[in-house]
Amino acid sequence: MRCDDVGLDNCLKCSDCNTVCPVMTAYSAYPGPKHLGPELERLRREGLSCDSDWLEYCLGCDRCSLACPNQVPVSAMIARAKTRHVKPAIRRWRDFLLARPAVLGAVFSVAPALSNAMLGFRPVRRVMAAIAKITDRRSFPPYAAPFRLRKAASSGHSDKPRVLFFPGCSISFNQPGLGQTVLAVLDQAGFDVSVAGAGCCGIPAMGNGDLAQALRCARANVKNLAFAAELGIPVITACTSCGHMLKSGFGEVLAEDADMAAAARHVAAASYDLGEFLLEHWAGEEAAHAPGPPQRLAYHAPCHQLSQGTGRPWFHLLRRLPGVDIVDLNAGCCGMAGTFGFKDEKYPVAMSIGSRLFDAIACRQPEAVVSECPTCRLQIEHGAAIQAIHPVEILRRVMT
Amino acid sequence: MGNARFDLIVVGAGLSGLMTASVAADAGLSVCVVHSGLGLFVFGAGCVERVPLTDAEADDEPAALTAFREFTRSAGCPFLTGDDPEAGFYLPTILGSFQHLHLAPYSLHAGIAATGCRVAVVGIRGLTSFDARFVADRLGGQSFGLGAPGIYVAREIDLGLPFGTVPTPLLLANRFDRDAGFRDLLGAALRLAADKVDRLLIPGILGQISTHADIVSFEAGLGCRVGELPTFPPSIPGLRLYQALAANLRDRGVEFLGGFPVTELLLRGGVCEGVVVETPARPKRVSADAVVLASGQFSSSLLGFNRNGVDAEARPLRSAGGPVAVNLYAVGALLAALDGGCGGNARAVVSGYRTAMRVVAATGGKERRHAMR
Repeated sequence: MRCDDVGLDNCLKCSDCNTVCPVMTAYSAYPGPKHLGPELERLRREGLSCDSDWLEYCLGCDRCSLACPNQVPVSAMIARAKTRHVKPAIRRWRDFLLARPAVLGAVFSVAPALSNAMLGFRPVRRVMAAIAKITDRRSFPPYAAPFRLRKAASSGHSDKPRVLFFPGCSISFNQPGLGQTVLAVLDQAGFDVSVAGAGCCGIPAMGNGDLAQALRCARANVKNLAFAAELGIPVITACTSCGHMLKSGFGEVLAEDADMAAAARHVAAASYDLGEFLLEHWAGEEAAHAPGPPQRLAYHAPCHQLSQGTGRPWFHLLRRLPGVDIVDLNAGCCGMAGTFGFKDEKYPVAMSIGSRLFDAIACRQPEAVVSECPTCRLQIEHGAAIQAIHPVEILRRVMT
Repeated sequence: MGNARFDLIVVGAGLSGLMTASVAADAGLSVCVVHSGLGLFVFGAGCVERVPLTDAEADDEPAALTAFREFTRSAGCPFLTGDDPEAGFYLPTILGSFQHLHLAPYSLHAGIAATGCRVAVVGIRGLTSFDARFVADRLGGQSFGLGAPGIYVAREIDLGLPFGTVPTPLLLANRFDRDAGFRDLLGAALRLAADKVDRLLIPGILGQISTHADIVSFEAGLGCRVGELPTFPPSIPGLRLYQALAANLRDRGVEFLGGFPVTELLLRGGVCEGVVVETPARPKRVSADAVVLASGQFSSSLLGFNRNGVDAEARPLRSAGGPVAVNLYAVGALLAALDGGCGGNARAVVSGYRTAMRVVAATGGKERRHAMR
């Protein structure tokens, strides 16, 4: 694994990390991962705080760490510095809320129609923008009655191999139908699927520098999922950011606690992205022969899919489906970075980063864009004015 | 399904690795490029030098360079020779020296040394790591030594770069890619700097993701040919070449698995069955019929080889003699480190071509793979 203690010494100052940073491509003033990471880290280790508002602009996309030829954990250094970053009161309280999508989700999904009406009401949004700096230039994803299915349709006596689905906040509170689709696909692919009683994976807390909340999420999830790891039951996510946390994030957050870190590693070893899992463990014969309507699609790989090192499983799964004409947009980061694009002062940067992707979509003119990340889908729908769906929906259509 | 399986794994996404992948993909092989980092594209611009090769390599050089030119052309980053392809040509560097080259990308080519050429070396006020006066002074003298005396003057343009930041070529290249207003500003300033000269030499800032058409149309607006000078890392022309080549390979079906190092070669019974990649959560096994190591000069010790050299097929040897594996090859700077030969881009291109052709012959291509299923 990437060695944290010697990681800093590995830095060659080559600037490879800077070349791939999405924020640097779009925002000239941003100092970049080399500076916020290893350069300042040398001073931080001497006890200098080196705090900077620029830390808030790091998307946590991990592209810097991937580009490093010498395995410096650039992204992790910046994330750690973010947890010590001091913000003025308004941003601190706003980010406190944004770091807790499970809490917001629980509240808003009590009466979703009312919540959506309120969150869509312009005067309310103007007040939120003025007071809490949550931008009114984009809509919130609608809330729905939560995804509560604990046990799938199968009985406990099934001899099908067991898998555990980790839904995440977006499916739980915004897209429960997508959760149902995932269960149906896994069931039809021959697996006995149950749903983890899990909370938020904690990545919004990480992105907002809220270490206490991130630790809470990490500990709760590692304890909750430990049984699956022990029994060799794959833990499957359909959200690439949840997947990133399960595979790498929990270990990073819990690094100080040796026992929890070891438990996190076991959970990580059992964790799979849905596309990765289907590509590895499912023959997919049914889909290859099922008739399908012709579809012109474009695939956008989320940053946290690249950071999992799985290749492009969904791209390959969909390519094989008859009638599917799909292209990999390969146009960089969408700019949304979870909660980042909701922040009023960050919104222009988010849209500027995404402009390359929006242009690529406009060039390709697909019927829909497919992407595994819920906030990538939000950003694509907002910036490219086109439907964005999870690739499992395409698979579902040909599996019935 | 199981873990991924390909006809060929290329370890490393530098010039030799991408060349190997391209030639193999052309022959119908399924290829996976596993890499960690951007390779030496961040130095230079992929220019191909005139260097002494082994006799066997020299025989294949024309075919290899033809394949390379076709690869780069179709990727949208065409490479050009000088007027006399055999003689080579000279291109300037930011240290004020000249490099003797066989091939260079279009965006550098205008800097070619030519007798009587009037050249303005254009610096940008506030830009780090580029001293136009230093470059112009040196190039003038050096060009005499080459027998192609030219007139080199230093000029400076002011793009109003904000005071207090440290503008780098990367910053300007990103602006070039994203900001039409910046391109107009740069174009207008360079038009003025082109007064009474035949050529402009500028630091390499013409975008990371710009296409050949973008650069040609920018140049057309200047009324004067412009040659980029690759700066200290990260070199923008090199990055642009990498983006273009990688995108081209992806479109041709080559799979890229980037960001994680190879930690193990799967060796069994004298055959390399694949590699293990250090991906998060679980190491990933990628299997293949052949593995080509294009991982650079610093990787030979990491991969556990003593320097026992290579055989005639460019396969690393064991200390006891014989290849480490019959289907494991080395190309590029790694090959140079193992056989003590010269490195550089010419060797990268030629060794990549030769090894890919060998792998194609050995694996028999697509038909055989389907027959095995």
